[in-house]
Amino acid sequence: MIRNETIIGILPVGAVPELILKIIASNIEVHLNLPSEILPFFGPPADALDKRRQQYDAGKMLQAFSVLELEGFKKIVAVCMQDLFIPILTHVHGEAQQGGKFAIVSLFRLQTDKMLSKLTSLVYERAVKVTLHEIGHLFNLLHCEDKHCLMHFSSTLDELDATPIYFCRYCFKYFKVATRP
Amino acid sequence: MREKMHIMIVDDEMIIRESFSHWFQKSGHFVETAASGSEALEKLEKIAFDVLFVDIKMPGMNGIELLEKTKEDYPDTIVVIITAFGTIETAVEAMKLGAADYLLKPFKPEQLTLVMEKLTQQKKLTSAYNYLKGHLDRITRFDNIIGQSPAMEKIFELIPEIAASDASVLITGETGTGKELVAKAIHARSKRNHSPFIAINCGALPDTLLESELFGHQKGAFTGASHARKGFLEVVSGGTLFLDEIGEISSKMQIDLLRVLDEKKITRMGSSQVIEVDFRLISATCRNLSEMMKNGSFREDFFYRVNVITLDLAPLRKRTGDIPLLATHFLQKYSQETNKHVDHINRDAISLLSNYEWPGNVRELQNAVERAVVLAKSRALEADHFSFLHLNDKPPSRRISLRENEREYIRWILEDSGWNVTKAAKVLDINRVTLHKKIKRFDLKRREH
Repeated sequence: MIRNETIIGILPVGAVPELILKIIASNIEVHLNLPSEILPFFGPPADALDKRRQQYDAGKMLQAFSVLELEGFKKIVAVCMQDLFIPILTHVHGEAQQGGKFAIVSLFRLQTDKMLSKLTSLVYERAVKVTLHEIGHLFNLLHCEDKHCLMHFSSTLDELDATPIYFCRYCFKYFKVATRP
Repeated sequence: MREKMHIMIVDDEMIIRESFSHWFQKSGHFVETAASGSEALEKLEKIAFDVLFVDIKMPGMNGIELLEKTKEDYPDTIVVIITAFGTIETAVEAMKLGAADYLLKPFKPEQLTLVMEKLTQQKKLTSAYNYLKGHLDRITRFDNIIGQSPAMEKIFELIPEIAASDASVLITGETGTGKELVAKAIHARSKRNHSPFIAINCGALPDTLLESELFGHQKGAFTGASHARKGFLEVVSGGTLFLDEIGEISSKMQIDLLRVLDEKKITRMGSSQVIEVDFRLISATCRNLSEMMKNGSFREDFFYRVNVITLDLAPLRKRTGDIPLLATHFLQKYSQETNKHVDHINRDAISLLSNYEWPGNVRELQNAVERAVVLAKSRALEADHFSFLHLNDKPPSRRISLRENEREYIRWILEDSGWNVTKAAKVLDINRVTLHKKIKRFDLKRREH
């Protein structure tokens, strides 16, 4: 099947509520103007689990995706419920290969009460922001100093909530050029 | 626009180095890594890093030792200590040794963000401080006269005292010792500082031209005098006249100037109108005027008139303690001018510079550092960058006379520039006419090969 080169694949890792995947997909279409498609789920790779930290290594997760046959998709963003970390940080909400193909977003810390059933609109909004931010990195956008830009780095949920869902004009321009077919 | 920083991660664990690199690259920072303290020091020699993240526990040189060495050799580089097994004692020790922060692995994202914000701010403040300090130094430290040796400290003490009086000053010293800079500093500190400072190199001008330049002339005073022209003695009105190489002027000119100094009046060439003038005279020479007075080539009355106060500037070889300071000053100057990241002179190079004779004094050192900066490919100047100081003939020994010293130095520069007088005069920072005069006086001839 021949697909559009800039299509974004959304890869659920383990059991992820379908609604949130659909919300993410529609926001990619609306805010980034890119077609997206939800892929069949992928089991979390066992070797990415750090037993001491009881968290998943985001870098190892991204490496595990590279063996998947996902041709036709320009970029893949995985969505998981697991708690992610990178070796220097206690946790991350998302991780992306700068200018690469794969990114991952964790919903684990986006829910204040950790209850799946309590996914609220605020959590959906946070998940969308983190996803769009990581897609920005996949198109080689860097962190932006402008607090009113989606590419501004948010280290806390409060900062994430204060971050808008759109790019500043400079990042927007860069993104448009980067996604030009 | 976020300030991009040059960051080096020093950690023996590859996974930590990679994790840091990916994280900082997302913000556009330039990131290098080193697996050991010694590798980090090698990279520091070549690249000017803004920040080092250093793990304490590493095989070989540990993080604290690297912190000490970095702060000693590159004090502007910020060091952040990272560790997985922190204790209060090591944190306190690191901070005492100059670490900017201390982080326990793994950190919360907000901790790292906070540290980076703090470091960015610190870097901005350091840059602003260095800029302002440099600017302040330039305007307060006697016009770039550099030195901390007892001989130079004495000069720094004397300048304000001399500036307060209006007496004539004679500055003596070998070529390249900074006589004009001292004259300018005296002028800048004197009550005449709102009026002009005019410097004339007497050795560069033939006698008739010097007379015309100093006294001015009326239209038609001599062939080619198509317009009336004010001389420098008039133009300098209220300011300071600096006559360099005063030992070169003729007896007639000495008499004329003596009269001006006594009467404070001049007449332009070709005119009988008397014009009152007001200036302070500062003269300079690298020749022994007392000797010249004895053999009759310099007038005694003129000597005592210009020599009310004498300042003798020591040659560089007699104040070797100033060489590192001067070399660093010139390094900063030329690395800025050439926009090259050369900010350090290593110990071997300093030692080489300190042991060299410097027949051309500060001017020669300045030229040597400029040449080394232009040729440098690394962040630090090394002894090899000054190899040209040895490539030519050895500089004259200390035991020869000043005159012989000057002769040998000029010969050396001429040989070095292939007897291209224009090029040699530029290196020596003197006029071509003066150089021709000196070649004739010293009977210098091109060697046959």
